[in-house]
Amino acid sequence: MSADSPVAPPTIRSRAEALTSAILVVPGVAWLILFFVVPLGMIFLVSLGSRDELDRIVLTNLSFDNYLRALDPAFLPTFLNSLRYAAATTILSLLIGYPIAYWISRYGGRHKALLLVLVMLPFWTSYLIRTYAWMIILRDNGVANWALQAVGLTSEPLILLNTDFSVILGMTYGFLPFAILPLYVSIDRLDSSLIAAARDLYASGRGAFLHVTLPLTMPGIVAAMILTFIPAIGDFVTPDLLGGAQTTTIAKVIQELFLEGRDWPFGAALGFILMLITLGGTLIALRPLRREVVGA
Amino acid sequence: MTDRFDGSSIDLERALSRYMLERRITRRQLLDRIGKVGAAAALAPVIAACTSPGASSAPPAATSGPTQAPGSSGPAPSAEPTPVPEPEAELYIYNWTDYIGEDVIPSFEDKYGVKVTYDFFANTDEAYAKLGDDGGGYDLSFPISVDIPSFVARNALRPLDKALLPNIVNLGAEWSDPGYDPNNTHSVPYMWWTTGIAYDSTKVTDSPTSSTALWDPRYDKHISMLDDWAEVFGVALIQLGYSANTQETAQLDEALALLQQQKPLVRVYSTDTIGTMSSGDVWIGHVWGADTFAIQEENENVVYYIPEEGGIKGSDTMAIFSGAPHPIAAHLFINHMLDAQVSASNTNFIYYMGPNAAAREFIDPAILEDPALNPDQAIVSKLEEILDLGQAVRDEYLSRWQTLRGG
Repeated sequence: MSADSPVAPPTIRSRAEALTSAILVVPGVAWLILFFVVPLGMIFLVSLGSRDELDRIVLTNLSFDNYLRALDPAFLPTFLNSLRYAAATTILSLLIGYPIAYWISRYGGRHKALLLVLVMLPFWTSYLIRTYAWMIILRDNGVANWALQAVGLTSEPLILLNTDFSVILGMTYGFLPFAILPLYVSIDRLDSSLIAAARDLYASGRGAFLHVTLPLTMPGIVAAMILTFIPAIGDFVTPDLLGGAQTTTIAKVIQELFLEGRDWPFGAALGFILMLITLGGTLIALRPLRREVVGA
Repeated sequence: MTDRFDGSSIDLERALSRYMLERRITRRQLLDRIGKVGAAAALAPVIAACTSPGASSAPPAATSGPTQAPGSSGPAPSAEPTPVPEPEAELYIYNWTDYIGEDVIPSFEDKYGVKVTYDFFANTDEAYAKLGDDGGGYDLSFPISVDIPSFVARNALRPLDKALLPNIVNLGAEWSDPGYDPNNTHSVPYMWWTTGIAYDSTKVTDSPTSSTALWDPRYDKHISMLDDWAEVFGVALIQLGYSANTQETAQLDEALALLQQQKPLVRVYSTDTIGTMSSGDVWIGHVWGADTFAIQEENENVVYYIPEEGGIKGSDTMAIFSGAPHPIAAHLFINHMLDAQVSASNTNFIYYMGPNAAAREFIDPAILEDPALNPDQAIVSKLEEILDLGQAVRDEYLSRWQTLRGG
C-alpha cells in the first residue's frame, strides 16, 4: 500500500519493490478474504434468507424481515445487558490497567520484562478453567464468602455468583491483560522529558498528567478500549458460566436461536446487528485518533 | 429438549459428571482410580467424550460395503420379504457415551457373527450433524424421541420391518403407540427418564409435593430452572392445568406471566444442576431425574420428586437410517436390545428405566424401588412427553422464552 504512490517515475528498482510488497501482502489479504470477508458475507446472506418447514435455509426470497424481527422490544433488554457488561468491563479494565501499565513502565526498571510476563501469565491456563475457578471462589460456600464471614463483614453468605457482579468481575479479569499491554506500549513510548518540561513550567503533577501524559497516551487508551470492548460484547462463555437468571446476554440468545430454535436466518441477523454495534463502538472510539491516523 | 446435556461441548465438568453418572462411579472412586492407574488412563474415556467422540474409528461411509444397501434408494417399507434374516457382516452404531450395558455388544457379536463398530457422541448437535439425512454411513443411532418426527419428515429413517423384531412384544403397553412415532413405525423406544424437582432437605424442610415450591419466595435466589424452554414452559403449563404441548397462545401467555413472576426468585437457568445443587447454591431445582444420582453422591440430603400436578418424561429411541448399509443386522440388533435379559442388563448398568415390560423381573430391585428412577405407575400415567409441534409453534414458545430471559 505504501509503495503505490512514488513521485518519481517507476524505475526497475521501485517496480521490484512494489512487486515484493505486493507478494508480501498476498497471504494477509488472502487470509482476511477467506476467513473474514467470505464468512461475513455468508452470515449476511443467511440473515436475509428464511426457513422451510424443516428448518433448512431458503435463499430464494431475500428480505430484511429478520432485521425487522430483531427490532422487537423483547430483545432490547438483552442487547442493553451485553452493552452494559462490555462498557463496565472496558471502563474497569482501563481504570485498573492504566496504573498497572504506568507503574511497570515508570518503576519497573530492569524487571519490566518479568512484570510483563506476569501480566501474560494467566494465559498459560485455559480461560475455561480460570472461569471455573471463579465459580468455586464466588459460590455461596466458596472462598470469598468464607473470608467475608471470617472477618465478620457478613453473617449470612452473600449471593455473589450468578449476578451482574460476577459477570463483570469475570470479564474484567479475563480481558484486563488486553488493556494493559497496549497501555504499556504507549506509556513506555512517552518521552519523560515532556513531563519534566511541564513540571518546569509550573504544571502540577495532576496538571501534567491531564494535559501531557493522558493526551499523548490516548492511542494506547483507544487500543485498550477496543481490545476489551470487542471480545466483551460478544462474550458467551463468561456470562454463561458466571451469570444467572437475570444476566442474559445477546450472545446467549444467538446461540439459542442457532441450536435450539433452529432459526439460522434470524440468529444470523442478530449476529450481524451485534457486529454493527461493535463496529459503531469501534469507530466512536477511534475518533480521538483521527488526527493522528490521517497524519498531522 | 433437543439436547439433554445442553451447551458447550467444551464443558469438561459436565462431561465428567455425565461420565461418572453413567459409569455409576463417584468422584471418590474416580480419584481412587486415578491413584491406581494414573490420570491419563482413568480420564481417557472422559477426554474422548469431550473431544471428538466417534473419531476413534474410521468413518463407516468409507467402508467398501458388500453391495449397495437396498435401503438407500427409497425402500418400500412392507415389500421387503426377508423371512430368513441373514445379517450382513458388519454393523455401525452411533450412541451416547456409556449408554449401553457392557456385555450387550459382545453378546450380539457372538450370537450373530456380526462385527459391530460402536462410536459415541456427547450431545445431539454433534450427533445429528454427523448423521445428516441418511445416517452418514451409520446403520443405527439413538435419537431423542422428540426429534423423530423431523427425521421422518426428512426421510432420514428407514421404516422398521416388524417381522424382524419379534421381541417388540416385550414393550410395555404404554410404549406400543407413542405420540412422537405412531405404532413405532420408524423407531423403538430405548430408555426413558423423567423431569422433576430436587431439593436439599436441610434447606427445604416441608417436603414439597407441588411444583409451586419453585415459586416459594423463601428460597429467593436459591431456585434453579433448567436452561431448556420446552421443559420450563412445561412446568408452568402443567401447573396451570394445561398440556405441556399446548398450541394455544393464550395458555402460553399465561405460562409466560407465571414464569415472569418466578424469574426474580430464580438464581440461574442452567442444565448443570449437578454443579449448582451439589455446591449448595441451589436449594430447590428443576432437574432431569437421571442427574439426581450424581447430585446425591455429593449431597445425600437431596430428594427428588415429580410434582403432583404432573411432569415431563422423555425417551431415547433406536432407529435405522435410510442410508443404512447393513439394515438386516441393524434390525437384529434392535431385536437383541428388546430381549428381556439384554434390556435388563442395560438398565442395571446405566440406571435408566427401559420400556421393556418383560425385563422387569431381571432388573436390580434397588433400581425398581427408587422413585426417581422408577416412579409409581400412578405418577407415570400423569407424565407427558414433549412433542415437536413444528416450526410455527416452536417459534411461539421460543419468542416467549426470549422475552422471559431478557425482560
